Amino acid sequence: MTKVIIISSDDERFPVDIETASKSLLIKNMIADLKPDLGDGDDEDFEIPTPNVRANVLSKVLEWCEHYKNTVFSDEDDEDARKSGGIDSWDRNFLKVDQEMLYEITLAANYLNIRQLLDTGCKIIAEMIKHKSPEELRKTFNIVNDFSPEEEAAIRKENEWAEDR
Amino acid sequence: MSAPPQALPIAGDLDATWNFIKPGLEFILGAQGDQGVTSKIYMNCYTAVYNYCTNKTRSSTLSQTSTRMGLEKTTYTLTGGEIYGKLEDYLKEYVQSLHPENNEPFLEFYVRKWKRFTIGARYLNNVFDYMNRYWVLKERSDGHRNIFDINNLALVQWKNHLFTPNLDRIRAEIFGLIERQRNNEIVDTNIISVAVKSMVYLGLDVNDLKKPNLLVYATCFETQFIEVTAEYYRKESQSFLSQHGVKDYMIKCEKRLPEEIIRANNYLEERSRKLLHITLRKVLIEDHAQEMYDQYLKLLEENGTEHIHRMFVLFADLPEGLDTLAARLESHIKIEAAKELEELKLSTESLEASSEDKTARKRPQVAVNPKAYIYALVNIYDKFSRVLVDCFNRDPRFIKSLDAACKHFFNINAIAVPTPKSASKTPELLARYADAFLKATTKEVETETHVADNLKLVLRYVENKDEFENHYRRLLAKRLINGNTRSDELEEGILQKLQDKNSLEYTSKITKMFEDMKSSETLKQRVKEVIGPNSVVGDFNPLILASSMWPFVHNEEYTLNIPPELQSTLNSVEAEYTNSHSERNLQWLWNHGKNEVKANLARKGKPPFIFTVSNVQLMILLAFNKSSTYSFGALHQIVGVAQNVFEAHLLPFVKFKLIEQDPPSQSLSDPNSSLTIVNEYKSKKLKVNFVSSIKNEQKQEEDETSKEIEESRKNYLTASIVRIMKARKTRQHNELINEVLLQAQSRFKAKLIDIKRAIEYLVEKEYLARVEGGSYEYLA
Repeated sequence: MTKVIIISSDDERFPVDIETASKSLLIKNMIADLKPDLGDGDDEDFEIPTPNVRANVLSKVLEWCEHYKNTVFSDEDDEDARKSGGIDSWDRNFLKVDQEMLYEITLAANYLNIRQLLDTGCKIIAEMIKHKSPEELRKTFNIVNDFSPEEEAAIRKENEWAEDR
Repeated sequence: MSAPPQALPIAGDLDATWNFIKPGLEFILGAQGDQGVTSKIYMNCYTAVYNYCTNKTRSSTLSQTSTRMGLEKTTYTLTGGEIYGKLEDYLKEYVQSLHPENNEPFLEFYVRKWKRFTIGARYLNNVFDYMNRYWVLKERSDGHRNIFDINNLALVQWKNHLFTPNLDRIRAEIFGLIERQRNNEIVDTNIISVAVKSMVYLGLDVNDLKKPNLLVYATCFETQFIEVTAEYYRKESQSFLSQHGVKDYMIKCEKRLPEEIIRANNYLEERSRKLLHITLRKVLIEDHAQEMYDQYLKLLEENGTEHIHRMFVLFADLPEGLDTLAARLESHIKIEAAKELEELKLSTESLEASSEDKTARKRPQVAVNPKAYIYALVNIYDKFSRVLVDCFNRDPRFIKSLDAACKHFFNINAIAVPTPKSASKTPELLARYADAFLKATTKEVETETHVADNLKLVLRYVENKDEFENHYRRLLAKRLINGNTRSDELEEGILQKLQDKNSLEYTSKITKMFEDMKSSETLKQRVKEVIGPNSVVGDFNPLILASSMWPFVHNEEYTLNIPPELQSTLNSVEAEYTNSHSERNLQWLWNHGKNEVKANLARKGKPPFIFTVSNVQLMILLAFNKSSTYSFGALHQIVGVAQNVFEAHLLPFVKFKLIEQDPPSQSLSDPNSSLTIVNEYKSKKLKVNFVSSIKNEQKQEEDETSKEIEESRKNYLTASIVRIMKARKTRQHNELINEVLLQAQSRFKAKLIDIKRAIEYLVEKEYLARVEGGSYEYLA
């Protein structure tokens, strides 16, 4: 069985099935462009470097791809449906990682064009923001408050209407 | 050539990034010859574009001022414009740098480069996918319609800098190839189809890039293609027609049309096919329709089935063309039919003139053989039915033509309508045709189905079906009372096949006629018992016929004096009948019925003759039992009946020398001569029929028939008016007339004057009342 070998930025090689690799639209398109007959014969393995993804992140991403390799995602172009859909429990469990890793997986999904993974990552990050006060957010995301007290008061006043009372 | 740099450039550096991806682009577009693009070049370019577009430092510096206070909430900027601009310039330069090789025809160059370029453009689109996904999407959603996804960006450069400047050349070469192909030269059709297809791809809708847009194809190719095609075939068809004539021209068209269409399907878009079809049809068929019409009648006359069918197929998409052909077919059938029936008439006349004596001449109309006539009609129908199948695929238009023609010539032709004013004889002839088949004496070998089919066919087109029914019933009645139907099964079989939805009343009458025949059979048995074996009357077959069902009327002229030797038999019949059916009025129809008489007038030692005679003749003969000589007056007095009837029935006896007039006179009623029966009758035949030579009572019967038809039509019209008015309550005069006409149609062609009379009658009888505005009202 022909394998696609994905190479991480730190030169680690990940042999995977074409179906798994094709969860990345980038890789799927590239195979279609460069090796449209890949998998038809006993080709040599096809190497694909991913200069922006480190091995530990790539391995997680490929684990996700492997899990979904036989799932056909609908080509849902409806933005609202994509945004409002819930998070699959397997995905939620899969993304129970430290914050840094979560960001990196989400970025890699964006880079490799894996839409469903990108959507899920963004939704989980959004949940982290939801229902939190500015102070809590600053703490969670490690942000320094650079507003002067006057500026802060002015912004609060302007956005009073949005306060949850 | 230098290998692309290995290390990725610094993300924020535009020039470094561009310089890094540019060698990759050349691989992708094949600018450096086709060396193949590796996954590494591909991924490096993608990554460099990604890094450039996601570079935070650049994007934040660009948007810093506007987002400082967080007040302009919706404004954010994505990076990508600079790379996009560089790529656009690069593609333009690249496209402009393309040139044909030595001696390479421009179109071949165009197609060769196009094939490679579109592959490259697709790669580029994927390599710049990140830019497509964010920067291009945002620009376009902000309304910048001059920004395209990278694939279309490449196509636009191609269109603006290679296609449009060279359009005339490209098109001329495409048309050149197409013309050579039409002249049956072998050309590379792939070049044509790729070049045409490129115009399809080059048409893009700036508002919706995903929507196919055939504007370029339509304006740069389709219009001119249709013109060129029309011109080509216009010339070809004109020269071919003038050299080879219509028949060969149609064969040519039959071949040329699909050829051109199959060829064109290789490079034409779906939407042009219809246009091409219409154009070809116009140039090849419509423009030459007149020449073809001119040949059409000739082809019909010479039965050129194959050619006619070809013409039909060629005109198949031209409704006006088919209408013309159908209309001309109709008039052709009418003319042909008229000719053939005229011929039949002439041949019958000449036959009669030669074979019979001059008496035939005196008759006002030709006695055509009904069978020959019906066969002639059916044959014409059959002939053109075959034409419908062979030439016109049974197209409804042409079926209509045949129907219309048949409706005409079945009713109106030289035989049916010998003089312009007479009513059509077809219904009568049709009934006689059936009679000839159903008579016991017939020698017809036709099958029942065949006869029934012919009857049905002719009846379908006969206008006055009621006339047919009337004649048929009359002839049936005669067959029944004369006991010479071939068989009851045949009668019923034919009758059943003639039945349709309108004939209920009619068939019920006939059924009753059959019933009368059966019940008369029982009566006959009983009478036989009553009169016993020793009566003068050997075998008596009385028929009791319901007067409303049978087409016979009691005729005063035939009132007979019954001689005593028969009186008792008749009395017993009457007694027997009134016994079981009191209060019914019996009237003897002396003008119908036949008798067989044993006449002992033969030479000694020979068996007696058997004469077949009418009732009147029987009375004449019986009188001679008492005396062998009478004066005309005395004999007439004994027999009774009107004088003209008496003479008509007496004449055959004198003519065939059973009774001698002495002295012979021009007039039978000459008071100076006497009538004497011969002592010894001479005839080669043992059975002599005196009935068949009784001078025709046809005239009288004809009158009776037309009177009956008139009567039943009057009833029909009256009933139909009452029916309509009962349902509608009020009706305008014209509406009413039309409705009645329509209702009567299936039975006869009603005359306007008759309908008016029927209305008049109903008004008089106070079924209807006239109301204002020329309307009628129903009075319950």
